Amino acid sequence: MRSRLLTLFLALLFGLPFVLLGLLAVGEDWRFPAALPMRYSLAAVRSLLAADNDLLAGLGRSLLLAGTVAVGATASGFALARAIARSRRAAQWEAASYLPYALPPVLLAVLIQPFIIRLHLSGSVGGVLLGLGLVALPFATLLLRSFWSPQVREYEHLARTLGCTAGQALRQVLLPLAWPLLRTTLVQTFLLTWFDFGLTNVLSVGKVRTLTVQVFTYVGEANAQLAAVASLLVLLPPALLLLVNKSALLRKP
Amino acid sequence: MPGTVATLSPARLLLWLYGLLVVGLPVAGLAYALLGSVGLAGPLAAGFTGRYWRALGADTGLLYAALYSAWVAVASVGISTGLALLLVLWAQPTLRRPPLPALLYVPLLMPSLVVAFYLFQLLSRAGWLSRLSFRFGLTANLEDFPELVQDGPGVGIILAQVLLSFPFLTLLFQAIYQESRLAEYYQLTLTLGASAAQFRRRVAVPVLLRQAAPTLLLSFIATLGAYDIPLLLGRPYPQMLSVYIATRLQRFDLRELPSAYLAGFLVAAGLLGLIGLLRLTGRARDTASVP
Repeated sequence: MRSRLLTLFLALLFGLPFVLLGLLAVGEDWRFPAALPMRYSLAAVRSLLAADNDLLAGLGRSLLLAGTVAVGATASGFALARAIARSRRAAQWEAASYLPYALPPVLLAVLIQPFIIRLHLSGSVGGVLLGLGLVALPFATLLLRSFWSPQVREYEHLARTLGCTAGQALRQVLLPLAWPLLRTTLVQTFLLTWFDFGLTNVLSVGKVRTLTVQVFTYVGEANAQLAAVASLLVLLPPALLLLVNKSALLRKP
Repeated sequence: MPGTVATLSPARLLLWLYGLLVVGLPVAGLAYALLGSVGLAGPLAAGFTGRYWRALGADTGLLYAALYSAWVAVASVGISTGLALLLVLWAQPTLRRPPLPALLYVPLLMPSLVVAFYLFQLLSRAGWLSRLSFRFGLTANLEDFPELVQDGPGVGIILAQVLLSFPFLTLLFQAIYQESRLAEYYQLTLTLGASAAQFRRRVAVPVLLRQAAPTLLLSFIATLGAYDIPLLLGRPYPQMLSVYIATRLQRFDLRELPSAYLAGFLVAAGLLGLIGLLRLTGRARDTASVP
């Protein structure tokens, strides 16, 4: 009984955001003290299908940014983790990788902003990509570091001894072995970028309007309906990932 | 030197470029902030001056922001840790059965900005809970409902941080509980005559907290530097550190920049110093505990 109550309570606690955001997205004329909207309309959701819709553009922009950072950070992180594993100063490189995490993202953005301005990247997608890469790349490197164990090096040596070229060993031995961890890294770096608001907002001076930036803009404009639609769009990809494949979100020990 | 670059292997070159990005850029930013705070860098740099550092004594804004952030971080991490320990130690069978483990992943998929917006819609005086309490006759108007967001003590911010972090800490403690075989230790302590409460207090809690200490520290630092949630659920005064610094940097008055750089430098140096200190004390404790 106690167990069911606890499960029910947690289901309510974690389910309520979706319910309330859903009501806000479809509710109209919902003023205090009404507990439920006066009318329901799918107009805001339907407007997403319009070609010039700002939210749809924001969704595309966010997907493109998060996808680019995830693929770039995972691919570079894989190579960097290998280089760190073979370095004589592996421990120091690992420690250095934690530096971007010692500082809050917004503070990191504030610190690097003068250089972003000097590089004429302020307010541009390039500046945001650089900032997000600064966070996502060490994250991917640290996550993939565990792959390059002595055992994997032995597999690689074995493949080379048996006649594989370096490229063949990578494609046919290392990548299939690393795929579960690569998939997790891809998903996690995607989410890291997808969820970001502060770093993007500071570095782009609000000009790169990703979905999270749009949520904030609509909240500032007191447009709860569009803020709710944008919030639901932000929640969509991670929720789909959880439904489709939970293991992709998690790092297997 | 071209010769040096030519002798570098591709792996070493890659590592040096990586070092330039993850260490060079933040350290250069820190140096720029320090130079900016003494008038040697920035758009209005006019030569060395110590007046922004001297003005720090009269300006209580940064101190209040630091104290307020520390309060929110201690309260949030403390409550989240307490809730997670309660769940792991008192609801162990429930935690092992579906759907609870999957349910705990749901908040991990919510960006903090969305959680802040949701809590604003739920807890503000015109929010959903206030409407429900009006319907049930618990409140007669907007003002009767307690101020839970954009409030002085930061209740809204703390609730948002707890909602995001306690499921994560529960999953972490549960993983440690299983990996450390605490269920077996529980049976052993019962066999040796200890009570369940003694097992929790003397065995489980110390093991869980000790192993989770680095993550708890990171959670504390992340909360200390939180931006999205306090931006929506906080007040203009006092502000949390990240909001305070970002607000000062984004003001139109360029003369504010050196003091904003100073604040950024002090907070960054303070956080790095705190991490360094905790690492050193942790190492010293580990060395001392080796027989």
